[in-house]
Amino acid sequence: MQKCGFLDIFKVFLKIGVILLGGGYVIVPVMKEELIVKRNWLSEDELCDYYCVSQCLPGIIAANMSILVGYKLAKFKGVIASTLGMSFSPFVSIVLVAHFLTKISSIPFIEGLFWGVNISVIVLVYLALKEMWQKSIVDIFSVFWFLLILVLALLKVNPAYLIISSIMLGVLIEVIKRRKNE
Amino acid sequence: MNSTAFLLFYEFFKVGLFTFGGGYASLPFLYLMAENYSWFSHEQLTSLIAISGITPGPIGLNMATFAGFETLGLLGAFISSFALVLPMVIITSQVFRLYRKFCENSYVKSVLYVLRPTSCALIASVGIRLFYNLVLKNSFIFSKIDYCGLFLVILLFLLTFKLKRDPVVYMFIAGILGIIFYFLNII
Repeated sequence: MQKCGFLDIFKVFLKIGVILLGGGYVIVPVMKEELIVKRNWLSEDELCDYYCVSQCLPGIIAANMSILVGYKLAKFKGVIASTLGMSFSPFVSIVLVAHFLTKISSIPFIEGLFWGVNISVIVLVYLALKEMWQKSIVDIFSVFWFLLILVLALLKVNPAYLIISSIMLGVLIEVIKRRKNE
Repeated sequence: MNSTAFLLFYEFFKVGLFTFGGGYASLPFLYLMAENYSWFSHEQLTSLIAISGITPGPIGLNMATFAGFETLGLLGAFISSFALVLPMVIITSQVFRLYRKFCENSYVKSVLYVLRPTSCALIASVGIRLFYNLVLKNSFIFSKIDYCGLFLVILLFLLTFKLKRDPVVYMFIAGILGIIFYFLNII
């Protein structure tokens, strides 16, 4: 493995951030190309493990993966380098787009464009849901829990409370299981 | 202004901490922000989701940066993206040392078993609310329904059976139809 400093890590993750479109699901092939094939910084097993762990942790999958890779390469310094690199292109592109948007919103037919694009977001949310559905809704309990949380969320219960109670229920289920086995 | 900066930091720190399962899972939190503060409207939030899907970078990070920018400009964009990744930096680098055991841990498995349907439900709730806001126009009265919007949703839904999940395709079709509808004067 070649030695890699702060700037090397930053540059690679800057590049990954630029290539990345749409988040978590395309990050594995992108990282494989940049980190394994081109630079041999990681093994394939490690990348697989990082992907698995990142899905189990709070936050954005792509960001968690870059934090894990950064830590592996150069401990905390690596974490700073990879996180900064990864956040750089979203920051610049979003600020530019947001600035540009206020400029074009006065063109009349843009109203129609936005109307259509906004409506399409409903279908994008549906697609995101569909992708998660298969590994999430696996038995009667998960159907029941899904419906319960859906109703509570529509009644405007704070999502943070719903997440916290789900974590507590998960721990409780495991505690009860272990008690039974004893 | 200082208190807004602090609140923005606090809210996005929470998003980073409580989001499980990808960028769209942070939407319920953004929705709540639109309701509780006057930082951005529901309409801005919808455009923000659309644009975050087609700009480079992870969607979750894009949405946070955008929301921060709408609230406090450049400073806001910086605060929200920093606050979003901070809990991840803290937690994920701690987990690194035990990552091999982490996913096999039965407590982690059990928690994820409950959390996954929760994330699904939270995302579904956002989809339903968006439909209620944009198509039903915040009511259950038939005469108020945006029928052009309803048509577009059904059309795009049917296309999901034919097309890939790439968001750009759907946004492109919807945008073009939107412009056509605008010139036909029916929206």
